[in-house]
Amino acid sequence: MTKFNKTSAGFSRRDALRVLGAGGAAGLFAPHLLGKPAFAQTPPAAPAGRIVVGLSQEPTVFNPLMPHIEVDDGVNFSIFDALFRISVDGVIGPNLASEVPSQDNGGISEDGLNWRIRLRDDVTWHDGTPFTAEDVKYTLELIVNPDFRAWRTTGHDLVRDITVVSPTEITWRMEEPFAPYLSFLTETFMVPKHILEAEANPNEAAFNQAPVGTGAFKWGQRLAGDRLELVANADYFGEGPYVEELIFKYIPDMTVLYAQFKSGDIDLVGNAYITPDNYKEAKDLADRVVTVEPKGSVESIYLNQELPVFKDQAVREALYLAMDRTAIIDALYYGVPTPAETFMPPQSYYYNPDLPKQEFNLDRARQILDEAGWVPGPDGIREKDGLRLSFNNSTTVGNHLREQTQQFLQQTFAEIGAEMKIENLPPAVMWGDFWGQSQFDSAMVGITYLVGGDPDVTYRFHTDAIAAKGGSGSNNAQYSNSEVDALLVEGSRTFDPEKRREIYSKVQEIIRHDLPFLPLFAYTNLYGRKAGIEGFEVNTNTRTESWHAAAWYWA
Amino acid sequence: MTTLTATHSPSRWWQSRVLRRFLSHRLALLGLLMITLLTLACVVGPYLLPYDSLYIDLRARFAPPFASDHYLGTDPLGRDIAARLFMAGRISLLVGFFAMVLSIFVGTLVGVIAGYRGGWISAVLMRTVDGFLSYPTIFLLLALAAALKPSPVMITIIIAVTSWMEVARIVEAEVRSLKEREFVLAGRMLGLGRSHIMFREILPNAMGPIIVAATLTVARAILLEAYISFLGFGIQPPLPSWGNMLNGAQQYLASAPWLAIIPGIAITIAVSSFNFIGDGLRDALDVRNDTV
Amino acid sequence: MPAFLLKRFAQSIVLLVIVSIIGFVVLNLIPGGPLAQFALDPGMTEADKARLAEQLGLNRPLLVQYFDWAWRLLQGDWGISFRDGNPVLTVISRHLFATFLLMGSSTVIAIAIGTWIGIRGATHRYSTFDYAATVGAMVALSIPTFWFGLIGIYVFSLKLGWLPAGNMYSIGDGSVLDYLHHLIMPSVVLALVHIAVWSRYMRTATLDAISQEFVKTARAKGVTERRVLMKHVVGNALLPMITLAGVQLPSILTGALVTETVFTWPGMGRLFLDSLGYSDYPVVMGLLMFSAILTIAGNLVADIVVALVDPRIRLA
Repeated sequence: MTKFNKTSAGFSRRDALRVLGAGGAAGLFAPHLLGKPAFAQTPPAAPAGRIVVGLSQEPTVFNPLMPHIEVDDGVNFSIFDALFRISVDGVIGPNLASEVPSQDNGGISEDGLNWRIRLRDDVTWHDGTPFTAEDVKYTLELIVNPDFRAWRTTGHDLVRDITVVSPTEITWRMEEPFAPYLSFLTETFMVPKHILEAEANPNEAAFNQAPVGTGAFKWGQRLAGDRLELVANADYFGEGPYVEELIFKYIPDMTVLYAQFKSGDIDLVGNAYITPDNYKEAKDLADRVVTVEPKGSVESIYLNQELPVFKDQAVREALYLAMDRTAIIDALYYGVPTPAETFMPPQSYYYNPDLPKQEFNLDRARQILDEAGWVPGPDGIREKDGLRLSFNNSTTVGNHLREQTQQFLQQTFAEIGAEMKIENLPPAVMWGDFWGQSQFDSAMVGITYLVGGDPDVTYRFHTDAIAAKGGSGSNNAQYSNSEVDALLVEGSRTFDPEKRREIYSKVQEIIRHDLPFLPLFAYTNLYGRKAGIEGFEVNTNTRTESWHAAAWYWA
Repeated sequence: MTTLTATHSPSRWWQSRVLRRFLSHRLALLGLLMITLLTLACVVGPYLLPYDSLYIDLRARFAPPFASDHYLGTDPLGRDIAARLFMAGRISLLVGFFAMVLSIFVGTLVGVIAGYRGGWISAVLMRTVDGFLSYPTIFLLLALAAALKPSPVMITIIIAVTSWMEVARIVEAEVRSLKEREFVLAGRMLGLGRSHIMFREILPNAMGPIIVAATLTVARAILLEAYISFLGFGIQPPLPSWGNMLNGAQQYLASAPWLAIIPGIAITIAVSSFNFIGDGLRDALDVRNDTV
Repeated sequence: MPAFLLKRFAQSIVLLVIVSIIGFVVLNLIPGGPLAQFALDPGMTEADKARLAEQLGLNRPLLVQYFDWAWRLLQGDWGISFRDGNPVLTVISRHLFATFLLMGSSTVIAIAIGTWIGIRGATHRYSTFDYAATVGAMVALSIPTFWFGLIGIYVFSLKLGWLPAGNMYSIGDGSVLDYLHHLIMPSVVLALVHIAVWSRYMRTATLDAISQEFVKTARAKGVTERRVLMKHVVGNALLPMITLAGVQLPSILTGALVTETVFTWPGMGRLFLDSLGYSDYPVVMGLLMFSAILTIAGNLVADIVVALVDPRIRLA
């Protein structure tokens, strides 16, 4: 199928909605009306029952503006609200805001610099205080406060002249046009000014251990090392909540996590979900719903572009040909993930489906290396100009599936005369300067490229994002291509989704050709829940299963 | 060797008596037999088996033991467990042995100097020993393993770093009691150098406890390697060790229990052998030593 | 006596300083650091991480960081967990109960069974029981704790289904019976090694005591064998065990760490592993200091108790 066919004939209603939403005109739709399956049951009139979500990591950070991990996100989404909410289909809808600003409705100026947000007037904090534009201003300013240990600041650092026009209207100016900011705001949770302002040090505020939000659930209690209990917010302005209690249960072992799901101790398996090796059994469990859902991240082998052997395009291509991905996916990962050719998740509107498909072909790989002048040495490892085709591969210790994949690849790489040595490291070491400053040869990693579903990947692939060369981003492969650089800059300044799709399709095409990383597969998660739970949906634009627990209920 | 040592060192006559007593210790003999067989299997075994320890065959994954010519079954990558077990044994035994050599060397050095010199030197050395002993070993081990790139050599060093203190204590006590003995005083009067007295006169007489400690240290080192590799901080795949063969086995406990059972038995056999031998040596050398 | 106490106390302080220095240096040898966990965070850039490192004071010279940490510790401030945002002492205390529950119950099991085996071995010297106990103890000391745990889980949880495979209690239950049910396997597994150690020591101590003059006297006076055993022998044999208990503390913690991992027990061992994984320095340092203090205090108390109880030991 050609690209043309896909974009014209294959243009579906779903795509249309994405365009609308990402373009910002979806303000007319309430987020929960979109992409929701038709249920036989309807939610209860009053909150009833409780749902226990099992997590393999413990949520510990409850100030949503401070650095946190996926499992903390689940709590944040339940207690707090952001200005906007991204739907399952990638449509950005209003949440605390009453409409999504766009160039069409005048919320964003034609040059993309001036933003105006209108807010709902019926929102209160859990303590009864009304939510106003002052809270928004306080939140955005706190993020860039140099004394505050904020999480990521990309986008926020471009915001200037925040003005509270009225309790329900706020405006600001951007230092430069930055289209992804709307997506970023779907994950920027608003915090209460009246509580945090009174604190001497927001980093160590009491609020951080007993948060007050506007969300569907209120803070209950935390039994550290064990569980976190949230209770229904009866005054919630939006849909739900339909359960009285939402419990996040910390189960540090994946095997036990699954066992507790099987035994019914937990109602829903949250992050890091059911392990692939249990899939066969899990999908036939009685009274359980187990589904394979795409996830926003891609597993790949990162090749450090500054390593002499990887500078040769032939080497990168040959290695890609020597990966038996089918065997890896089917045998080691039990057929659960799907093959990938790009960093873009397949469910994204911006996904380029026309990239060449990888094939496993050792003869072709050898031929490419032969043609490029790599000659087998006495020990079978190829050499060229005194350079041995040998490199290390690293990942974190203790990830069994990755370790198995590494050892499997090691064997097929050896068959084409490439030596891959395994050098795995503890997490804190692996993800420190070793990764950040590109000290690795090659690394096996699973990366989520998109932030809030926005296709902008400047911080991953732009030349100025190479931290090892003084850049500020996370271009860990040290990938540099001037054409990609130009496209990325253009993309981040373009608000029109159609145009952006063209730009990012081209970016994917070039990167697929250059192979700064060798894609293995697109991750899928194995979600599991008890049969009676309704209203549960998977949203790959967020990092958590609990992105909208407000809609969950027991049928 | 000087005449002095010949007269005062009892090293000539105790050998036969010790040997006799050791040979009459049935448990020690059993240990010796087991560890000899195990070592032999690890050295020769890989050559006799049809499979290479590193050869991956995904079609053969999770073969149970005794069902095919994979005598002990296969692991999640379809590698032959018997072949891996023997190769792992080489690594584990070598790590255990060299960790012992290192820690005995350091421990003896510290112990002899501290015991003989006394005073502030002893105070500093022995307080450092106490300091190291105040950590739960595993804390120090894991912190070190996290800091350093795990290779067999590094793991050996790390284990030695956390194992020399016991030896130092034993040797220090022994040397302290020996240094007032006549042959030492005589040596001093003869004007022998300090290091000569320490290492040529006193040390040979303290060999008994050191030999016992050495045996028990091998046992301990094999266990420690298993602990840190099990927790994922030790020997890295594809190189097998008994500990890292167990790493990940918990995940397959229900479907492939042999992954957990087989390496554990090997560890237990190896470690008990050394403990049996140590016990026999302790009796034979008549060392009163309550450290277990 | 005061002079002895003072000297021992001063030694303990010196020890703690050494421990803290070793710990701090080793920890900071680990490349990476607490911000490594955000390396793959979408949207989080190296610039963000550099800013956080600056804000957390992680890029100051090591010596400055150490003195800052030590100075705060002296004032009772153990620092704030990077990951959790709570004071280190709060974090540790939350995991204390689980570990002490496990350690406590396994120690009780170990002492009860170990003492019985030891005394029986000593009074029935060279009997089949004595031999079996000796060999059994040595084998028990040779079994890796975690492996024993795995086998336990395989047999009692997976095959027989009698005992839970992990965790401290079931969600929504939490009755005492439920706790006990979960406690059985980990505490028995953890106790195994200590049964071996205790029984060996107890055997030696009992043999020593039996040969003492006053025991012979008591026996000569016609006191029943049982009474002699209980009153004189065991009483005297238990004395050295007090020292042992102090010395054993760190090894129990070690065993607890591995056992907690296998049984997903929410104690300090797991906290240590997690904190180490995240390079949460304040918590790791806190745990190191905590266990060192426990160990040193255990030794100190054991010394003092022995000195007070046993008139034969003169305090110098």
